[in-house]
Amino acid sequence: MTIRTRLTLWFALVLVLSLTAMGVLSYYELVVEPRDRAQAEAPGEEVGEALAWCGVPALVFGLGGGWWLMRRALAPIAALSNAAERINEHHLAERLPRTGSGDELDRLTQVFNEMTERLEQSFARIHEFTLHASHELKTPLTVIHGELETALHNQSLSVEQRSRLESELDEIQRLARIVNGLNLLTKAGAGQIPLSREPVRLDELVREACSDAQSLGRPYQIRVNLAGCEQVLVTGDRHRLRQLLLNLADNAVKYNSPQGTVTLELGRVAQAAQITIANTGPGIAPELVPRIFDPFFRGDASHSLAADGCGLGLSIARWIANAHGGLIEITSVPGRMTTARVRLPIAAAESG
Amino acid sequence: MANLFTMRVLVVEDEKKTAAFIRKALQAEDFAVDVCHNGEDAWNAARLTSFDAIVLDIMLPGRDGLSLLRQLRDRKNLTPILLLSARGEVNERVEGLNSGADDYLAKPFVIAELVARVRCLGRRGSDTRAAVLQVADLTLDTISREARRANAPIELTSREYRLLEFLMRSAGRICGRMAILEQVWDYDFDPGSNIVDVNVMRLREKIDGQFETKLLHTVRGLGYVLKGPP
Repeated sequence: MTIRTRLTLWFALVLVLSLTAMGVLSYYELVVEPRDRAQAEAPGEEVGEALAWCGVPALVFGLGGGWWLMRRALAPIAALSNAAERINEHHLAERLPRTGSGDELDRLTQVFNEMTERLEQSFARIHEFTLHASHELKTPLTVIHGELETALHNQSLSVEQRSRLESELDEIQRLARIVNGLNLLTKAGAGQIPLSREPVRLDELVREACSDAQSLGRPYQIRVNLAGCEQVLVTGDRHRLRQLLLNLADNAVKYNSPQGTVTLELGRVAQAAQITIANTGPGIAPELVPRIFDPFFRGDASHSLAADGCGLGLSIARWIANAHGGLIEITSVPGRMTTARVRLPIAAAESG
Repeated sequence: MANLFTMRVLVVEDEKKTAAFIRKALQAEDFAVDVCHNGEDAWNAARLTSFDAIVLDIMLPGRDGLSLLRQLRDRKNLTPILLLSARGEVNERVEGLNSGADDYLAKPFVIAELVARVRCLGRRGSDTRAAVLQVADLTLDTISREARRANAPIELTSREYRLLEFLMRSAGRICGRMAILEQVWDYDFDPGSNIVDVNVMRLREKIDGQFETKLLHTVRGLGYVLKGPP
């Protein structure tokens, strides 16, 4: 039965019930009661009284019935939108429960489920494609790399030939880095990268990142300060957390200006460890900030000191922070300061 | 031709071109090389012949590399094995090493690095760890952690010390960025930073800066090598 038929029937039922109630009450008021009473009232008064006695309950009944009717009719829509809200990129496998009644809403649920299924399939296909592509690319890359390398062993190469081969080798390695990064991100997106969960002294990693930033910044006379470094214990994957910090330290140097500064700080904010890495430099225009974590996004790379990365560093950094139950954000005041903040939950053992 | 000290290496790789250049590179270093393109052949070869090292690709048609590795170890075959993989996953590396592999290299790799690692595998066991390393007039005392060039002491940070120790222990051989990241930074994946290069440059300033004879050389596209004058 369609909702339209059902609603019409229900509406008719409510109408009949209210009319019957009104009829019964008016019969009682206009016929039974005057018979029992000794003296008759004025007809005007009688009509008013009858209306009050019969109309109000009928109205209440009608309103109540209507409200109940609408609620009953709309409840599946509310359930539908709640369920639809839960479905996102990561919960595409979820399906809405069907009522099986074959009405419009059931049909809507079915259409919605089919749409989600198609979405899930195309997401799965994109994921599989990227995974296979990044894997398949490695074999030819290995071959080209190997052959270039073997060719370089030839002692009779002219300086020009040698330099061309070397430059090709550089590009192959860059390509290999991109392919590896894509492979990592694709697997990470599908939750296929297991992370170890061990106690990690975050302050040690921040000090290490600080000394890495110093090494990286030395050629450009960039000063690196450690503003504060509280002892903090977090639970997570030591290698990945080191990768996250090195990534941010690397960016803080790369997108700096010569003789600029990088300031690192580790502290606690509301039960979380907060790492701040701030750097001077041209910064990022406000309208570009939301896109900065997108793979291959490079604001205006022409300003950077050494834009030779693979364009996936921040995407990887965000995955690492999120996978540890943390957050990462970047704010920038163009021309002055760009600040990356990472918050990670403090280890349960420490926070007690 | 083949003398008593020739290392015999089995290369198991289904991709013919890759197998071909690995063979060429190992032969160029005077290794005796056998090549198999699938797991079954490799299994038979490894049972019949005693190799000094096996270079084993994980993805193989038929019997895959990891199960071949486990079978060999189950049979008490302790030939040093270097695993190759195109997947390059951290857990795969750990799984391989836990299954009894001696080393792991992710594709695409630097051949010079593969050769260096194979040579290392063959030497395993006879490796004596000298306390004082020396290349030309550069010395490194691994007990007092003191570096000297032409007898003048050189100040090193702890990272530079580890870097120098690694380069000196592999003196004369090309050290790829990945090998340096693994040995000196303890990274088992490429962090996508030129941290190795800046540290090598800094180290070069310290050990070669004022000297006529340079010891630390860049091999473009491949890595670095520390070696004395020819």
